[in-house]
Amino acid sequence: MRALRIGFLLGFRQIQRANLWTTTLIIFVMMLTFLNLIAVSGILVGLIAGSERAVQEKSLGDIIITPLENEDKILQTETIRRILDTLPEVTSYSLRYQQSMQLTANFKTRRDFNIEPNTIGSQAVGIDPIAENNVTGLSENIVEGEYLNPDESGYILVGALNLDRYTAGFADITGSLTDVYPGDSVRATVNGASREFTVKGIVNAKAGGVASFIYLPEKELRRLSNSASRDADEIAIRLADKSPETALVVKSVLVEQGIDSFAKIRTFQEALPKFITDIKQTFNILGTFIGAVGIIVASITIFIIIFINAISRRQQIGILKGIGIDRKAIEVAYVLQSAFYAITGSLLGVLVTYGILIGYFDRNPIDFPFSDGILVAEPIGTLYRFIILFIITLFAGFIPAWIIVKQNTLNSILGRK
Amino acid sequence: MDIIKATNIHRKFGTGDLEAHILKGIDVTVRQGEFVAIMGKSGAGKSTLMYQLSVLDDPTDGTIIINGTDVGTLSESESTAFRLNTLGYVFQNYALVPDLSAEENVMLPLLMRGYTWAESKSMACVAIDGVGLAGKYTNLPAELSGGEQQRISIARAVAGKPKILFADEPTANLDTVSGTQVIDLIADLNRTDKQTVVMVTHEREYAMGCDRIIHMEDGLVTNIEQLK
Repeated sequence: MRALRIGFLLGFRQIQRANLWTTTLIIFVMMLTFLNLIAVSGILVGLIAGSERAVQEKSLGDIIITPLENEDKILQTETIRRILDTLPEVTSYSLRYQQSMQLTANFKTRRDFNIEPNTIGSQAVGIDPIAENNVTGLSENIVEGEYLNPDESGYILVGALNLDRYTAGFADITGSLTDVYPGDSVRATVNGASREFTVKGIVNAKAGGVASFIYLPEKELRRLSNSASRDADEIAIRLADKSPETALVVKSVLVEQGIDSFAKIRTFQEALPKFITDIKQTFNILGTFIGAVGIIVASITIFIIIFINAISRRQQIGILKGIGIDRKAIEVAYVLQSAFYAITGSLLGVLVTYGILIGYFDRNPIDFPFSDGILVAEPIGTLYRFIILFIITLFAGFIPAWIIVKQNTLNSILGRK
Repeated sequence: MDIIKATNIHRKFGTGDLEAHILKGIDVTVRQGEFVAIMGKSGAGKSTLMYQLSVLDDPTDGTIIINGTDVGTLSESESTAFRLNTLGYVFQNYALVPDLSAEENVMLPLLMRGYTWAESKSMACVAIDGVGLAGKYTNLPAELSGGEQQRISIARAVAGKPKILFADEPTANLDTVSGTQVIDLIADLNRTDKQTVVMVTHEREYAMGCDRIIHMEDGLVTNIEQLK
């Protein structure tokens, strides 16, 4: 206890009387180390988290209902619809009908049959434009033209990945439409039946297959495909609370209602494509590795700082021991300094992360081809990283102090080796 | 009564051809309340002898009994505690902690001995007043002259009322006026408080106030001069 008291006095005064610029520089280094620990892995994970968020908001909804294994359609769609209408947690839902569709753009002008047809095979999604917009905000993803009006017929939306100018050549394998713009006429063919539509808008989004589909009102798709069935291919559900926990609760309610015997019910997290969870795991490992390198650099930095500090005060340390000050007190003084640098640097890092960086990346996501990257820094993960950095810093401060303090007292006083 | 009894003290450094035999079998006693000076030319071994007597170094051979304790049997931590509770030190380079105020420097060993902050502060102020530096409590060492720093160093050494005060050339870095003040202060402590003092010095005039002068040459005591 006495050693602790003396150690705190010595350590506190050393910090207080230290050169301000040196102290600022050390704290700055510690802050950068902490940011390296939080931000690098946070951005790596954020790339995937951004993708996840986009898939949840623009494609899957909070819960997605799909056909059972060995079924083509969701059974008892109307029953499910009635149940969904009774649940207060459900703010909106969208029934989706899917069909393979061939879209031909130059069917009016193609006189020479030696010329390649301007056509593409794609997936058509029949929707209720208002319901779909309520769930996924599809209208916000219109990059050219306008969104579907539920009172009109004869209009479709084309996903940007079906168009040559958006795929920059990488759609050579799947094919793409050239020179198709809003207002152009295209011919849609489903199961051998064709009909002419006007392109009303182009849809683009970095989320799931949103940009690869062709959208049209579900009545028109069913009419074109000559299908009388009202059973849907997907039901995307939006909840009042978007948290995974609420999604699990509502899923269990749906299961209790017996919907799982008509269809497969998954929360958005359960429905995420496996490659996303795999990449997330890989990026987490990568982030941890980069963070570990950061910690090693920080601990070496602290080691050097404390070692230089202690070695330059070797004679003073010897005299302190000479007049009877316990070596533990002297070690505590240096460990306290390390703790001060670690805590101050980390707190500044936390302030920068939560006060500036997270908000900044939310407003200005990093534009990656497959997602809009944000910065993810879960408070519990930040706390763990802080504890790790703190403990390692304490060791990095203690070891050089211990090396110097354990030297022979008289040799230290006289400056002898 | 002998407060220090050193018998057949040898101190060697290095080994083989590089071995240096600095102390060659010294017998010294110091009585309680005595003021003893150790004098000799450079290389005579006077500082080395003082390091042995003040438990800062271990002799290669011989025994030292201080205040009834055979200090050769103490572990490192016991030696540290022994120095804290029994001995006081004045070093030639003042040896104050530069980050602590004069008052805190004096308080440091008192806090280590278990006194409360308030008790330590009060004792430190008395000690600082005693060396004539009242009002300089909060000054940092860098804000004091060399003579003032050495007086604070003396205050630190005596604030806890040690059994023996060791002074290693306390005037070496001081001008004549400051040096005289420091020697007068130490002599006064011996005279008024019966403080036992062992002092190493080069200057005969500073040793003239002592009870005895131990003269050394080439690692041996050549003469003991009884002044009082």
